[in-house]
Amino acid sequence: MKKKLLSVLLVASMVATMFVGCGSSSDSASKDSASTEEGAADAATSDYRIAMITDSGDITDMSFNQTTYEAAKAFADKNGAEFQYYKPTEDSDDARIASFENAVTDGYNVIVVPGYLFANMIKEVAEDYPNVTIIALDCGEGDFGDYKLPENVCSFTYQEELAGYMAGFAAVKEGYTKLGFLGGMAVPAVIRYGYGFVQGCNDAAVELGNASDVQVNYVYGGQFFGDEAITAQMDTWYSNGTEVVFACGGGIYTSACEAAQKVDGKVIGVDSDQSGTISQQYGDDSLCVTSAMKGLAPTVDTTLTDLFAGNWSNYAGKIENLGIVSGDDPSLNYVQLPTETWSMEKFTVDDYKDLVSKLYDGSITVDNSTDKMPATEITVKEYDNIH
Amino acid sequence: MGQKESFFKRPAVQTLLASVLCAVLGIIIGFIILWFMNSEHAAEGMGAILTNFFKYRIASTKTLMKYMGSFLVNSVPVILCAEAILFAYKAGLFNIGAAGQYTVGIIASLYTSLALGWNWFFCLLAAIVAGGIWGLIAGIFKAYFNVNEVIAGIMLNWIGLYICNIILGGEACMNQSKSETYEITEVNPSGILPGFMQEFFGGNQYMTIAIPITVVVAIIILIVLNKTTFGYELKATGHNKEAAKYAGMNAKRNIMFTLLISGAIAGMAAGLLYLTGIQHYKIASSVPGMGFTGIAVAFLGGLNPIGTIFAGLFVEYITLGGQYLNTNYYNPQVADLMIAIIIYLCGFVLFFKTILNRPGKVKVNANAEPAKTTKKEV
Amino acid sequence: MEDYVIEMLHITKEFPGIIANDDITLQLKRGEIHALLGENGAGKSTLMSVLFGLYTPEKGVIKKDGKEVKINNPNDATDLGIGMVHQHFMLVDIFSVLDNIILGSEPSKFGFLTKAEARKKVMDLSNKYNLKVDPDALIEDITVGMQQRVEILKMLYRDNDILIFDEPTAVLTPQEIDELMKIMKDLAAEGKSILFITHKLNEIMEVADRCSILRKGKYIGTVDVANTTKEELSSMMVGRNVKFAVDKEEAKPTKEVLKVENVCVKSKIHSNDSVHNVSFNVRAGEIVCIAGIDGNGQTEFVGALTGLDDISSGKITLCGEDITKKSIRYKNTHGMSHIPEDRHKHGLVLDYTLEENMILQRYFEPAFQKGGIIKKKDMRAYSDRLTNAFDVRSGQGALSKVRSMSGGNQQKAIVAREMDREHELLIAVQPTRGLDVGAIEYIHKEIVKERDAGKAILLVSLELDEVMNLSDRILVMYEGEIVGEVDPKKTTLQELGLYMSGAKRDDRREAK
Repeated sequence: MKKKLLSVLLVASMVATMFVGCGSSSDSASKDSASTEEGAADAATSDYRIAMITDSGDITDMSFNQTTYEAAKAFADKNGAEFQYYKPTEDSDDARIASFENAVTDGYNVIVVPGYLFANMIKEVAEDYPNVTIIALDCGEGDFGDYKLPENVCSFTYQEELAGYMAGFAAVKEGYTKLGFLGGMAVPAVIRYGYGFVQGCNDAAVELGNASDVQVNYVYGGQFFGDEAITAQMDTWYSNGTEVVFACGGGIYTSACEAAQKVDGKVIGVDSDQSGTISQQYGDDSLCVTSAMKGLAPTVDTTLTDLFAGNWSNYAGKIENLGIVSGDDPSLNYVQLPTETWSMEKFTVDDYKDLVSKLYDGSITVDNSTDKMPATEITVKEYDNIH
Repeated sequence: MGQKESFFKRPAVQTLLASVLCAVLGIIIGFIILWFMNSEHAAEGMGAILTNFFKYRIASTKTLMKYMGSFLVNSVPVILCAEAILFAYKAGLFNIGAAGQYTVGIIASLYTSLALGWNWFFCLLAAIVAGGIWGLIAGIFKAYFNVNEVIAGIMLNWIGLYICNIILGGEACMNQSKSETYEITEVNPSGILPGFMQEFFGGNQYMTIAIPITVVVAIIILIVLNKTTFGYELKATGHNKEAAKYAGMNAKRNIMFTLLISGAIAGMAAGLLYLTGIQHYKIASSVPGMGFTGIAVAFLGGLNPIGTIFAGLFVEYITLGGQYLNTNYYNPQVADLMIAIIIYLCGFVLFFKTILNRPGKVKVNANAEPAKTTKKEV
Repeated sequence: MEDYVIEMLHITKEFPGIIANDDITLQLKRGEIHALLGENGAGKSTLMSVLFGLYTPEKGVIKKDGKEVKINNPNDATDLGIGMVHQHFMLVDIFSVLDNIILGSEPSKFGFLTKAEARKKVMDLSNKYNLKVDPDALIEDITVGMQQRVEILKMLYRDNDILIFDEPTAVLTPQEIDELMKIMKDLAAEGKSILFITHKLNEIMEVADRCSILRKGKYIGTVDVANTTKEELSSMMVGRNVKFAVDKEEAKPTKEVLKVENVCVKSKIHSNDSVHNVSFNVRAGEIVCIAGIDGNGQTEFVGALTGLDDISSGKITLCGEDITKKSIRYKNTHGMSHIPEDRHKHGLVLDYTLEENMILQRYFEPAFQKGGIIKKKDMRAYSDRLTNAFDVRSGQGALSKVRSMSGGNQQKAIVAREMDREHELLIAVQPTRGLDVGAIEYIHKEIVKERDAGKAILLVSLELDEVMNLSDRILVMYEGEIVGEVDPKKTTLQELGLYMSGAKRDDRREAK
């Protein structure tokens, strides 16, 4: 008995020593490969290597990170560039900077970062690494403060209020009168979506003349993922008559969908066309009415394409606010509703195109301030943050 | 009397061996997991985790030292939470409430710093006091109402969390548009802990006196436990409550004192992390894991205050290692999985010890003077 | 040639720092009761562990029925028909007697328990040896004596024919001991061979056929019990002559030290008092003994007296001061010393070293600490002085973990500590429990020395020999009350027995 145990220990220690040996050898191997990588990067600077860093979520969040990841990866695959994503160990600037330097040390020189959380990281590292191109999404002037972006950085923000407006407008025109807005965290992008949504609902209701009947419940979950507490809140809404909820924030849509399914309610997706994801996940094609999209994927694709084509100067040091660029062809816009999976009947694609052109020519304006809830004729009921 | 045998019979050596064995085993299992996920790159992946931030040595020594600094800064709360748990454990109390004491430490340090604009010293003191009070509450319940400290601790963890969400979620502390607490550096620069060897550590701004304080705390705990009458009482109570009562020790007072001190250490852990500015508090729906990781770290450290420092560094090292995995082959969460396995194995430290101890497990009849037997043996 | 069922020849077993068994030979004849006698730490338990496969000896062979066998683990031993009743029973409290007996060798058919057969076998065995067990009672509900019988039945159920009893009488009442002796004789008569480990000479004289004696790990010899005397056995065991009677002069009691008035203690189990209206006094220079059968309120009374338990009413005066409501610490520092009944539960912190245990009630005194820091040197010196004075032996001196010390030395350490502390009153509860003759003699001598030094001594004991030999006055406790006070010189064991069993009662005290 004793001997057996002893032999087990012996074997364990042998394996351990073997392992230490193997660990050190792989250690030196990685050193070698790392240095060759660096050499390669030096030799051909035109060789772009693309990395993406996730924000507080993961690349499977069915939303922001995932869209960026997929777009960047698709581009890299198409152009034969190396690609890898990095996940910070925790949700802090320090960890994000660590991920950045990690990526740079691995030889990556184009870093795509989605989310306002990266503003501080950019301030910290951009000037130290002038040869590294940073493409930031959703980092607005408000996030950077007084900071002037250096040449190797560009950032894109979106006029989410327009997307929200269109979704709200469409939903009310479609005939919904009891609506809900479930935001993730009350960050500027989410607030713009929300206030835009409220304005869209209001304008549509005024046009229809049923403003007194239309009601919007408005809440922030306090996080970018669904959980029991949020689902419970959604259950309350749906069971009290809410017909459709605009689930606006990363993975938070799961809570809305779970609750909606129980009472045959509907949801509106966000950022990307979520109808496919949702119908696949919940086995219900009609669950997702529409999605308020912003063109993350096109932005990533276009910017990288221009970068590879040597047109970086178009972007260098700029913060671009992307919105509607065409009144005729909505699919060129950076904020849109998905026409390919259109499911609404009363509010048709043509109505949508009409709405876009009005937004484009300025006959309809949407307020993009995030200070306070826009004044409306419809009833907006604000709830306290769930978390 | 074989020299070798007696060397391995020494409790300290056995503890060390058991801990190392458990760490090595954790790494081996981690390697096997990597191997199953992607056999081709397993060695490379393991290499990346173990090389960790030392990969920066090719970039520059400055960067390397900077990340060494971050590593140390992040290790501080884990180590101190483990020290808190260890301290209570020596007195026979299982302070699972360390997580909650840590949480109220966050409240106190950030609120005093952000909302009240206090100097760092008082912010840290507030964290210590708050953690101590939180521990004391569990202590009072245990001493006077015989409520198990584990139950009271778990309850208080959640109470602490929600109070934290309410207080720090308010306008005074939280940047509502970012949903995280304000930068101490911007709101109240005097609230940041004084720097410590920042230049040496590549200009790492988060390197503060938290590091030396942690070491000092560990040494103080070591001394208190082994040299003082207070430690003598605590350990006696921990080993044998009835005997402590027989000896006239005040069990109630000791229980309360122990949890007070344990809580204060956990509260300090929070203060020493958050007052560096490296972390912001965000509304959370679960209690910070620090207090729970601390349990495993304390055991991995062989319940020795100094051993705990090394165990804490090891656990943090592996945790940080995950981000260096190539994400094209591995999910970065593998490192978390490895840590979970190592933590699980920590429970086996005692088991390993028992194995090592096996031949001498049964009580030795030590009546004859050792000198005589040595002679006989020759 | 003799018919030996088990032979252990030239067994040597070493532990680091000690040779526990040094060339020991033990031969067990078929159908005999063979006693294995030795002081605590003489190597008896080690030898039996070797036989049971728990230890592998460095040298020596074991033969069963003349053939050499290897015993590597307890299963091997069981296969050879060797069974053991341990000092501490290996029973599952919440299982029934029957379940405990069949545990580990459950009879089954196609994977289903067939308890009926097992029950029949158990009952047959029980009747055959007159063990009178109730197979359906839960272990936690039956007496210690009954539990021991369950252990015996476990061995019989497994058809063991070599039975080892490891100090089986230590936990039994006198009546139960008598019954056990009878059972053992019956078993031997049926052809079972019994090894009986003990250090109680009376029992050996009563029941054993032969006796092998060990001393400090060495084999001393084997004697036929019929041809020997207690004195011879004890001198072989201890290595010198032992006096059984305690030498002491007439007590010269002086001032009253302890006064107990109408003390009552509420029971934790039932609604009655477990100690009821107890009053007596102890004077300096006398040994007053509370005698009684175990479980008649002695433990509770001592608890109330020392402060370990709550007192519900009454008054306790020590040296003229009312200490009824004082803390344990106060009592400790104001003249009360206490050798507790259970040395593992109360008397010692087993995982502390010997020196740390020596200052258990004194660590806070200026002699041992300065500014909260323990003075290790002074602690060591003090511990060394006490261990030398009281001959406490341990593997690594002051640094030995108390857990690793033998029971006798643990007890000596407590006695040393309690006697050395400044005190007027010594409460000694079963001070010689589980000790061998040598240690008992020593502790008795120390207690008498204490008395002669003018201390008041309250002895609580279950051992009638001790009660009769040591005390100057005897109080008998029955169901929580003092039912009689007798003078040991004028009374007999029979009279004491009547008091203890509640058959006799002093009306004088009743009236009080």
